[in-house]
Amino acid sequence: MLELKRALDAKGHCLLEMPSGTGKTTTLLSLIVAYMKAHPLDLTKLVYCSRTVPEIEKVMEELRKLMNYYEKEMGMEQNILGLALSSRKNLCINPSVSKEREGKVVDGRCYSLTASFVRARHAADDAVPICEFYEGFDAHGKEFPLPPGVYNLDDLKEYGQMKRWCPYFLARHTITHANIVVYSYHYLLDPKIAEVVSKEISKTSVVVFDEAHNIDNVCIDSMSVKITKRLLDKCSNSITILETTISNMKENDSKRLEKEYKRLVEGLRDATIARETDMALVNPVLPSEILEEAVPGTIRTAEHFVAFLKRVVEYIKTRLRVQHVVQESPAGFLRDIHTKVCIDRKPLRFSAERLASLIRTLEISDLTDFSPLVTVSHFATLVSTYTKGFTIIIEPFEDRAPTVSNPILYFSCLDSSIAIKPVFNRFQTVVITSGTLSPLDMYPKILDFHPVIMTSFTMTLARPCILPMIVSKGNDQVAMSSRYETREDTAVIRNYGNLLVEVAAAVPDGIVCFFTSYLYLETIVSSWYDQGIIDQLQRHKLLFIETQDAAETSLALINYIKACDNGRGAVLLSVARGKVSEGIDFDHHLGRAVLMFGIPYVYTQSRILRARLEYLRDQFQIKENDFLTFDAMRHAAQCLGRCMRGKTDYGIMILADKRFSRADKRSKLPKWIQEHLKDTNCNLSTEECVQICKRWLRQMAQPFSREDQLGISLLTLEQLQSEEMQKKIQQRAQGV
Amino acid sequence: MADEDETKEYRWESGYEKTWEAIKEDDDGLLESNVADLVARAKRKRAALKDTGAIQLGMMRHLFVVVDASACMFLQDLKPTRFLCVLKLLEVFVHEFFDLNPISQLGILTTKMKRSEQITVLAGNQKKHIEALQQLKDLSCEGEPSLQNSLERAMNGLKNMPAYSSREILVLFGSLTTCDPGDIQKTIKSLKDNNIRVSIIGLAAEVRICQEIAKKTGGTYNVLIDDHHLKELILNQVQPPAVAGSMEASLVKMGFPGGSPIVNDGTSDSSADHAPAYCLCHIESETSSLMGPNGYNCPQCGSRYCELPVECKQCGLTLVSAPHLARSYHHLFPIKPFIERAQVRETTHCFACAKLFVEAETNVIIIVNFRLCLFYHSLPFLFLLKVYECENCNQIVCLDCDLFIRETLHTCPGCASDPVTAQMKTN
Repeated sequence: MLELKRALDAKGHCLLEMPSGTGKTTTLLSLIVAYMKAHPLDLTKLVYCSRTVPEIEKVMEELRKLMNYYEKEMGMEQNILGLALSSRKNLCINPSVSKEREGKVVDGRCYSLTASFVRARHAADDAVPICEFYEGFDAHGKEFPLPPGVYNLDDLKEYGQMKRWCPYFLARHTITHANIVVYSYHYLLDPKIAEVVSKEISKTSVVVFDEAHNIDNVCIDSMSVKITKRLLDKCSNSITILETTISNMKENDSKRLEKEYKRLVEGLRDATIARETDMALVNPVLPSEILEEAVPGTIRTAEHFVAFLKRVVEYIKTRLRVQHVVQESPAGFLRDIHTKVCIDRKPLRFSAERLASLIRTLEISDLTDFSPLVTVSHFATLVSTYTKGFTIIIEPFEDRAPTVSNPILYFSCLDSSIAIKPVFNRFQTVVITSGTLSPLDMYPKILDFHPVIMTSFTMTLARPCILPMIVSKGNDQVAMSSRYETREDTAVIRNYGNLLVEVAAAVPDGIVCFFTSYLYLETIVSSWYDQGIIDQLQRHKLLFIETQDAAETSLALINYIKACDNGRGAVLLSVARGKVSEGIDFDHHLGRAVLMFGIPYVYTQSRILRARLEYLRDQFQIKENDFLTFDAMRHAAQCLGRCMRGKTDYGIMILADKRFSRADKRSKLPKWIQEHLKDTNCNLSTEECVQICKRWLRQMAQPFSREDQLGISLLTLEQLQSEEMQKKIQQRAQGV
Repeated sequence: MADEDETKEYRWESGYEKTWEAIKEDDDGLLESNVADLVARAKRKRAALKDTGAIQLGMMRHLFVVVDASACMFLQDLKPTRFLCVLKLLEVFVHEFFDLNPISQLGILTTKMKRSEQITVLAGNQKKHIEALQQLKDLSCEGEPSLQNSLERAMNGLKNMPAYSSREILVLFGSLTTCDPGDIQKTIKSLKDNNIRVSIIGLAAEVRICQEIAKKTGGTYNVLIDDHHLKELILNQVQPPAVAGSMEASLVKMGFPGGSPIVNDGTSDSSADHAPAYCLCHIESETSSLMGPNGYNCPQCGSRYCELPVECKQCGLTLVSAPHLARSYHHLFPIKPFIERAQVRETTHCFACAKLFVEAETNVIIIVNFRLCLFYHSLPFLFLLKVYECENCNQIVCLDCDLFIRETLHTCPGCASDPVTAQMKTN
């Protein structure tokens, strides 16, 4: 809190690592809210970015508690408006639209009911369907702001139902004057969405990125484009649709097309003016300088533009027909496209904007069909805008199946700072926090910013409730490692199996295992099957496996939880970068132990990764190996952190790889794990590890009540105020 | 190589057990001491809880003991094996149980191979139970246990017990998994509906479902640290639990069989009373040599038993003797808790054991209190001795005596030796 206050005072950015379950969210919220109250001019808004919908809900819950407390203490209504925002899929209350499952479809349906031309048409002809909720909001909602309070997604829906207003648009509208906004990262990082949603957030805001340990990947993803052959085929289809609509329209209503043409001639200058006045987020897809120019003549008319798109798509198609892997820079790509199909850089740059304009003009209400085309146009814009920090890789087949032709064009962002830069520049304070951010010094480097504060906190605990161990060898003294050379070694696989079986026999309820990749998981499980290890395992616990299929995995998860609840016990085998390792908590009995089989290095042969490593080395002087280790260790830490969700929780963390005990790996673990990782537990064999587990579990099972925590990890007000404690706090604050 | 093999062969004898002891001594983590501290405090908390008085206790208990006999009970972390250790302790438990709860009944179940087996039916004869336990020693432990099956079975046995008795199940659970045929939540619910208390003692680690069962049915869940702790945990179950809410009080019909058979007081059926007869306890066993004039006759139907307390096989009457009831009596009127206070200067000796306070308590109390002081930061001085004072007679005793008085003696030596208070009590 102290550190955070310093960062707020300095109006700088900060980076905090706090273990999960220690009240990270509450601390952040309460300080920032207090700060907002004390300095209403310096700090007007809190933007809290989280990762998933459940996490957003959790934050809202905390906020509500805080507000209730304020109300109780101050004895009056608080004039603070807190708000959660999510996609239409989660907020829609229109009975016909909200039935759809897929987010894109919901968006498309919503658009088809609420777009301005649809509503205009509705005014003329009652048969055209519109969304009554949006109408209600449009008619009344804009004048009446939401009363102060805390609204989570369900509250918004309820409020919307009551007033017959669309909750999604209500929330979007309210963002401008709400004090606290909670939403997903993408609303701020992804330029495509940020443009729409976060434009109007003032500069004096605090932005908090929670669970931000892989924020760099989010940044990169939001700027990268992947084009497959199927996507291109779909593009061709939609281009044909465009063509027919244009020709239809030409016959019926050529005026509108003319109007559009004129508008484009005048340029987007008006938009620029509007942008400057409200200090909007500078959209990286569309840098501000090009806004001042008019759309180039070659693509101004609708037919020409469609022809142009067609050429681009055809060109990419021919490029995909390669037999070997191609890697080139955006500049090279542009030159090539210029010589081959005579397309200049400039029209490419405008293609995204132009397409949006065209779709608007054509009054196409169902946007879902056009998403491939939109992707291609984004690609075109990006490729022509940025020459640095990006690369294009065309792979004719996947590495795993070299015989199956499946050409993919990756347009990959290498520099994670591009997407986040506008955020850092625009807001006075950006707080990046997570349970696992170690090593802290890497983040400022790869995100290219200068934090004022950079701290890692540990937990104060009444009992040692995590037990990290490094198991380096099996009972037969064969070293365990997931190194490439020993991967296929049956001795290693068998030792991993034995470790799991013995741990399963000693640890109650749920155990989660993480492997380095799906491929490795599959090979290991199949050889365990041959070795009879699976049979042994099933004597103790049920076995569930995460697969790449999301539906299958969630089914496995449900059954896993059931098995844990019933006391049968279960083992979940999952993958370190998979869905399970991110965002799913295994608290209390669901995860009494986490096993990490091997170090989760990324697939180093991937060309995208290689390109990124090279770029990092050249631009930021980060050694390849350093980055790889950093990346592997943060994922490992992330996996380990799954089992520890609070101070009353406890869990075993087993790192089963010889390499973990090396100093360079160990020191990259978060401080709160390192603190409990004793030297004696760093080089254990399987049976030693099991012995330690058994003993520790018995100790942890002893009754543990609130009073036991008092004075150590839980302070009453008097204790907090006592002099001794103050001194201790001071000491700690200086220590970190 | 050969050396290694040799040492490996006898791992269970030395090996890692010893490294463990070494780690226990290790004091860089607060681990051991902290936990030991927690245990000590829990003990006192428990003692304090017990003494709150004025709660209705279920004196007439019906208890099923479920012993896990699955494969994991062969593990040797308790010596010689978990199973044997548990059986040994259970013998002590059965003995103590009937000693303290003479009008209660007990039954034993085992669970293995996903099934549950009945070893003894609910009965009040401790000899039988102990015999059965001794025979169990040869049982092989195999397969997986089933909590649900054994709970269902015990529930069926307890369901029809009268409402005024307390129904309890004690599970000694070594396994970390349970293999159940159906939804255990339903079983928990019906246990709750039937007012059955399930207490579980885990032998390995905290299992969530056990915790849940114990919590929902109002029982306790503990996990042992070592065999001494296990003994303590098992013996804790000897004390009758407080009645959960709505147990109706009612009159129980009991028979008090005639006492000493020697004196012939001239009543009409006395000759029949003391005619040599087979006692019903041994009539089924072939070597029934116990045919003699001694024994207790049921006042209702006249069947003979050589031992009390027992439930009459003929007419179902509970037969007890007056001392048995008297022994249960102290549960109903426990002595008031002694007041904990700092040592008073004048009294240097414990009233009960007559030891000097410092002498008696150096080992335990000073250390505990030293920690407590560090703990709360607020206590002004370090060497603070805790002594205990009886409310009635104002005598002061040490902690050990306090526990002894409360757990074993059930009378305050101060009050008992003071003629005035003793008089009052009898009145």
